[in-house]
Amino acid sequence: MSNNQAPDVVLDVPLETSPALRTGSAARKTGRQTAAVYRLLPAPLLVGGTIVLCAMVAIPLLYIVFSSMNSDVEVARGAFFPTEFTLDNYSKIWRTLPLGNGLINSVMIAGAVAVVSSLLGIITAYVLVRFEFVGRLSILRGLIGLQSVPGGLLLLPVFVLFASAGNYLGITVIGTYWGLFLAYLTFALPFSTWVMVTYLRGLPKELEEAARIDGSSSLGVLFRIIFPLSWPGLVVSGVFSFLLGWNDVMFASVLTRPNTQTVAVVLQIFGSSAEGGALPLYGQMMAASLVCAAPVVILYLIFQRFLVGGMTAGGVK
Amino acid sequence: MSITVKKDAALRRAPGLGGQPSAKRRRTVSEQNRPLWMLTPGALLIGLIIIVPLILGIYIAMLQLDQYTIRKWISAPFVGLNNFIEAFTSTDLVHAFGNSVGFSVIATLITVPIGVYAALATQNAYRGRSLVRSLFLVPYVLPSFVVGSFWRTMLQHDGIVNKVLTGLGLPAGQWLTGPASFWVLILVEVWAAWPFIYLMALSGLQSVDQEVHEAAAIDGALWWTKLRYVIFPYLRGPVALACLIATLHHMNNFSLAFLLFGVPAPFDVQVLPTLVYSMSFTSLRFGMGAAMALISLLLIALPLYFYLKAVRLDTGTDAGGKK
Repeated sequence: MSNNQAPDVVLDVPLETSPALRTGSAARKTGRQTAAVYRLLPAPLLVGGTIVLCAMVAIPLLYIVFSSMNSDVEVARGAFFPTEFTLDNYSKIWRTLPLGNGLINSVMIAGAVAVVSSLLGIITAYVLVRFEFVGRLSILRGLIGLQSVPGGLLLLPVFVLFASAGNYLGITVIGTYWGLFLAYLTFALPFSTWVMVTYLRGLPKELEEAARIDGSSSLGVLFRIIFPLSWPGLVVSGVFSFLLGWNDVMFASVLTRPNTQTVAVVLQIFGSSAEGGALPLYGQMMAASLVCAAPVVILYLIFQRFLVGGMTAGGVK
Repeated sequence: MSITVKKDAALRRAPGLGGQPSAKRRRTVSEQNRPLWMLTPGALLIGLIIIVPLILGIYIAMLQLDQYTIRKWISAPFVGLNNFIEAFTSTDLVHAFGNSVGFSVIATLITVPIGVYAALATQNAYRGRSLVRSLFLVPYVLPSFVVGSFWRTMLQHDGIVNKVLTGLGLPAGQWLTGPASFWVLILVEVWAAWPFIYLMALSGLQSVDQEVHEAAAIDGALWWTKLRYVIFPYLRGPVALACLIATLHHMNNFSLAFLLFGVPAPFDVQVLPTLVYSMSFTSLRFGMGAAMALISLLLIALPLYFYLKAVRLDTGTDAGGKK
């Protein structure tokens, strides 16, 4: 992605000139003196603000971690530190709520969505980037527009449509994995496609042309040339499609039955019912929240370098 | 940069490459062997799950559809625009519309300074910066249903927030009902959403040329002057775009309000997504729910219009298409 001509230019600049006049990577090496040149904020503001921001983020996070190791009663009383650290909550949650079942459902649905939407995304993007046809720009614009369609607008009609498939055609969709899978897949597709469109634009066309000359078909080019080159883009579209399925509560709360509930719905139902009881199970709720958040946070940390670009995709171009 | 360009031009004029049309004229989009059939799976899905339901939604909005008629919805009584009229005159729709606009705009306005500051603060390297950067991403990374459930726990009447407040000699509050709930929703949304602005501002900062810093240093610009007149112009584009996208996200955010307050949400914090949901799936007035959902399109129309205008759709028609 970076311009490979840049180093030549830098070398042309005499190294004797004052630090302030040096360009590019040469200037970065000169250390303290030039650090002042690139500094954006004065030290007190930098340090003070960073500490405040970190505290703002970290204190609630620490609260969940500590509460998950505390007893339900103490969390309900508003304790921050547990008087006695215990991992009991982590063993109890699997029995008090169907967390294991929810996790398996979420992994299956979101995982399938991630794989299929990345595949469809790269195929669609390939056609959109490399071929000219009527309506191409409208489709590109549509990809952006579709990402902003409120889910609430479609929830009810999709529900009615799926219910009708059961009533009129005898195909049960509601309560099965298929309904959620299709819905998430469709919502993930515009984003996956857009990510791959921006990614494929950066790939040189020469390799494809060579393959074409060697007699490769469109499918051959796609699977032998484009596919192996685009895995960073595929990671981004895969992870974000996975998260779309993992994070959704709205569709899952309407389209599932107890045995197909995703973990988001399991936690939501537990949260609203746990408070109704004589003894709210807050400690266990925090433990369950952490268990639900862990896969997501781990995914991000592993792929952080790729994903930061993905989070701003559609915005940067 | 100019050196590079000249060298390239010289290469193209080299004898070996002579007679050929220059690479600049070749287009990356071609009109031959178009495998347009590859678009069909995506088109089918979008047709089935978005286009058909959208049309169906418009039709349902004109039906008297409730739990009694849902089984045979095709024969439900047709009432024309009655649902829309009733939505405006005798429901909380207008109130929820106002809440949604207020919530989204205020949340965006609060996140902008935080996000821009965080981007500026992590632009220059220091020890531990990568840790800070990772930490900044966590609120954004957490699923909203998790964010909602632990903030809800913290904001309980006997919860940690009230305990800290009384410890500081301040009055404890009712955070999950009543007028305060609106501000609680904003607060939690801000906590979870500011890193998006931060990321977009960071991508803007990356486009600032090194020379600009040096020029500012030679002119002896103070930090504030440098920010105001040198750095901020680079951020204006990305941050404006971030505001549009963030506002759209706030407007469409159902999960957070649902997890924090449940449905039906308290009157003070009734936003459009929760109203549509509770009208459809708690009150089971499906026709009315569909009508409200359509009206909520008005909410996102304005930011979406500017967003679509701002995004550059096609950069692939020039030579090479390489970045």
